[in-house]
Amino acid sequence: MQRRYRTIPDLHLHESARAIAFNNPALAGKLTAMGLLPGSMVEMVRTAPFGQAYYIKADGVRMALRQEEAAGVLLEV
Amino acid sequence: MSAHHTLRVALVGNPNSGKSTIFNQLTGLRQKTGNFPGVTVDIKAGNLRLPDGREAELLDLPGTYSLHPTASDERIVTAIFANPADHFYPDVAVYVADATNLEKHLLLLTQLMDLGLPVVVALNMTDTVQEMGMQLNAPALAAEINAPVVCVSGRTGDNMPLLIEEIMRTADKKNAPTPAKPFYRFREIETQVAEAISLNLRVDNPYRALLIGHHFEWLPFLGEEEKATLRAIIQTKSFIPLRAQVDETLDRYDRFPPLVEKTVKKPQSAPENTTDRIDAVLTHRIWGPILFAAVMLMVFQSIFDWSSIPMDYIEAVFTDLNGWLGERLPAHWLSSLLTDGIMAGLSGVLVFVPQIALLFFLITLLEEVGYMARVVFMFDRIMRRFGMNGRSIVALISGGACAVPAIMSSRTIGNWQERLITTMVTPFISCSARLPVYAVLIALAVPSKRIAGVLNLQSLTFGGMYLLGITAALASGWAMKKWLRTREASYLAIELPVYRMPHWKNVWLTVWEKVSAFVWGAGKIILLISVVLWALASFGPGDAMDRAAMAAQTTAAAKNLDETAAADLIAAKKLEASWAGVLGKAIEPAIRPLGYDWKIGIALITSFAAREVFVGTMSTIYSIGSANDELALRQKMKAARFDDTGLPVYSLATALSLLVFYALAMQCMSTLAVVKRETGSWKWALLQFVFMSLLAYTGAWLAYIGASWWG
Repeated sequence: MQRRYRTIPDLHLHESARAIAFNNPALAGKLTAMGLLPGSMVEMVRTAPFGQAYYIKADGVRMALRQEEAAGVLLEV
Repeated sequence: MSAHHTLRVALVGNPNSGKSTIFNQLTGLRQKTGNFPGVTVDIKAGNLRLPDGREAELLDLPGTYSLHPTASDERIVTAIFANPADHFYPDVAVYVADATNLEKHLLLLTQLMDLGLPVVVALNMTDTVQEMGMQLNAPALAAEINAPVVCVSGRTGDNMPLLIEEIMRTADKKNAPTPAKPFYRFREIETQVAEAISLNLRVDNPYRALLIGHHFEWLPFLGEEEKATLRAIIQTKSFIPLRAQVDETLDRYDRFPPLVEKTVKKPQSAPENTTDRIDAVLTHRIWGPILFAAVMLMVFQSIFDWSSIPMDYIEAVFTDLNGWLGERLPAHWLSSLLTDGIMAGLSGVLVFVPQIALLFFLITLLEEVGYMARVVFMFDRIMRRFGMNGRSIVALISGGACAVPAIMSSRTIGNWQERLITTMVTPFISCSARLPVYAVLIALAVPSKRIAGVLNLQSLTFGGMYLLGITAALASGWAMKKWLRTREASYLAIELPVYRMPHWKNVWLTVWEKVSAFVWGAGKIILLISVVLWALASFGPGDAMDRAAMAAQTTAAAKNLDETAAADLIAAKKLEASWAGVLGKAIEPAIRPLGYDWKIGIALITSFAAREVFVGTMSTIYSIGSANDELALRQKMKAARFDDTGLPVYSLATALSLLVFYALAMQCMSTLAVVKRETGSWKWALLQFVFMSLLAYTGAWLAYIGASWWG
């Protein structure tokens, strides 16, 4: 069975996808306040030199997320 | 408003909104950073002169995205706005928004507006807006949100007088009823919760009541009884705060696009991509860390090397001044208090100023252009293992020159626990003051042999000392992380701002602020400890010091010593008879297991002022105080024997044990004073002192045992 969503770490470099939801409300509170909303286009820009963190763009705004935060953002397939 | 009440104005906005730049434009040097009781986050306050001659107090509140905070350092803003009786609650709030990205800045603005307090909107970065070819329609926004809007530029200072005028006008009509209906439309459950809270706690504003319903568990102004009432309310209404907060945020966002469309006209052009090109290199997998290492090397070089010129100058001026005073003042203990106590302390304070100024100049520059956020991104993973944060790496590296400015730089770390751990472990990094101690001891005990033809054994030992410091810092960070284990979730989630040219006024004001904070804050404590140490070395029990001086004089006469040698001998014997000497002898049993005699004990006590004092004290004890010569000192130390056993004091084992001790011990009153200032209490400073001393003692003991056994 195919999964109905992906998360940010699943994105390839420079691939974009639309955010649909968050997997926990605390993270949702943090990210929505920063402007990463359900419906935002999320682009994977690069991974951190030592891994475990991602440089992304959400609707063009650049931000850095940790692995567990990035994995909490559910994206459209 | 009563005539005695000073108008209080608060700047509010997201991080990166340019809030602090506007604060600096409005206040200039008329500002201070408050260490307000119970506030671990910086709140800057300054004076604002109004056109009618009145003075207002301007507060720069920490940048935050929302009144629903997700980290403890963002809570202060909510705590202020949820409580009109709060010490910082403003008469007027100035909301700073980045006009180039207005949509993301409307969340906090509309929350603030819903609280019903007078708000002036400062649409910032209008210079960039023009460069980007965008057009702003401020009146349209003003009409939509029903608040005055002023277009400003923090960078160029454009329209600052207009902003001040608008603040004054808004303050004067603040008693007029606010006709605006709230921006956010409550859901049914929110209305019920807010009504119940308004009724029980007499809260006049529905959105404030709702905020209290969301956050009462940690709001500082509520008592236990009130919290119990609130708990009962949200339970009976089955209100789930976290979920409701997200729903509220999303509802607000839904209504921003039409607002933004009316206010901002964007040209049909490609988005800015200079930042992308720079980041392709600066945050590159391989080049990123290499370039960071290069930048840090330059920072390190500047605080280690460049600052030595003004530092030497400051020390020379004080030495000359002390010499001049010494010649003119009568030989009295008061003169000695002035020259050896107070002046020595003052010089000990001022000598740090060049390092602090240089470090903060460079760090603020990196922060201003937007590079620091990238550093956090790149190094977060490594530092997090040790209980710290990507930003901590800057403090740790700067600690290699001096822990004092390094600890002050950890203020930029938002998470309190990560900042605390950084503060606690930074002094383990071998600083420049340890160098002279290392130099004397290594030259004394480690043979200058080459290993494998290239590596010098002495240089290797030097390298080993630095490695020991780094290991101790990281291991302690790891241990503290395990020990503290907070329940608060730690987030990285940071914005990586667009690269911009630095705003020089911000840079200079930060340097000024850090230097004056150090001189007036930590400086007082350093001066005090310096005077205490002077007293310990200058007074002895009863007339013991006078008798020691007399005896030394007789010995000198009998041995036919010349004038300098006699003076050196007298100084040595007097120090031995002083309270410092008494203490040194008293702690001898405790330090004997480490291989030290009472003379080293004296040096341990006096070098608490600063590690480099070790060398000076040893010179005085070994009667070469006037020679100021490392070689002579080394020869004397080599010849030293234990009083009872007659064995040489400075065996390899003792020297290694001393090296380990100085690498790990908190032998620096300035650091202690800065830690007290930065953490707001003596608790952490003393804990750090005890922990580092115990670790140093154990480490030195192990080194002594190990080396004695082995060699």
